[in-house]
Amino acid sequence: MEGEKKFRELIDRSFVEEISEGERQLIHEHIRDCDGCKRYLELTGRTIRGLQEFTATSDPDSNARVLEMLAHHAESMRQHKVRFKVWAAFAVAISLSIVGSALVYQVAKLLTVPMRFDTAQVQAGVLVFWLLPSLCAASGLLAARGGKRGIA
Amino acid sequence: MPALPMTLNTTAETETAKIARGLRERDMELLADLVERCQHRLVRYLLYVTGRREYAEDLAQETWIRVLQRGSQYNGRQRFDPWLFAIARNLAIDYLRKKRKAVQTAALPNDRDAMLLLPSSDPSPFEAAARSEDTMRLAGRLQILPPLYREALLLRFQEDLSLAEMAQVLDAPTTTVTSRIYRGLAALRSAFEEGDSRGR
Repeated sequence: MEGEKKFRELIDRSFVEEISEGERQLIHEHIRDCDGCKRYLELTGRTIRGLQEFTATSDPDSNARVLEMLAHHAESMRQHKVRFKVWAAFAVAISLSIVGSALVYQVAKLLTVPMRFDTAQVQAGVLVFWLLPSLCAASGLLAARGGKRGIA
Repeated sequence: MPALPMTLNTTAETETAKIARGLRERDMELLADLVERCQHRLVRYLLYVTGRREYAEDLAQETWIRVLQRGSQYNGRQRFDPWLFAIARNLAIDYLRKKRKAVQTAALPNDRDAMLLLPSSDPSPFEAAARSEDTMRLAGRLQILPPLYREALLLRFQEDLSLAEMAQVLDAPTTTVTSRIYRGLAALRSAFEEGDSRGR
């Protein structure tokens, strides 16, 4: 009985894993004399063949539906990416405008004495000719429509 | 002759590398090709896991969305199919866990139980897929077989995955995987044994 159990385990293994030629030979020799294991081998083979026959038919439109859904999803992911890029570019542009304006203001202040400008004139100049144009340019990134927006 | 396996291996590597690159770039043509090749097998796998056709179709769609979103995580060093089945399996477990919570039953000790406790549908999707007397006999048994065994049998005998690939999909050691296959086989074999003895 114990030997039979061992052979049945070997039979199971022969269907699931790789067994050696020697082990295969052993099974064949054993089933010549053992009807129980012969039937076990036959039933196991039949079970596996039965399993392999199952064919889950899918809806013929199923692939088309999946592809349509994927295309829609890919488009929304693309738009999301574009929006992210636009806002990132806007944030960078605003930061550069502020930092740049501060630098320009410092440089302009140095020029007030030789050029005989007063501080108010320098401030107005930086505001009108530097800060406002650069803020407008940064805002322009957000103002453009759809795919033409910003650097995306 | 040793050149042949090497060539085949290189071809297989190229194929998976191509898939990995396509997924990283969200190449819709490649995705369409993958859907064409794998959709029916994916639905079949999910049918084995969930036991219900309606869940299987929905989860297959979710799986493809996940493939699109996380395609860059596929490294191309292994076959695509086990990676796809692993995603599908994780989604199915989450889905079944939520469903089970929704019906207000006891807390789940682990994922395994989440798959075991869902009620089966009527009529059986396995009976619908059966094409011969033997498969009809198996269908009844498959419907009541714990999904853990069902999916192990499918991955081994229908998808022809290696034990290592199965271990990757099922997130379990190979010893566990083989034991699930043997137990599943034993349960199905008994359907024939009973059927044959009744027929005598």
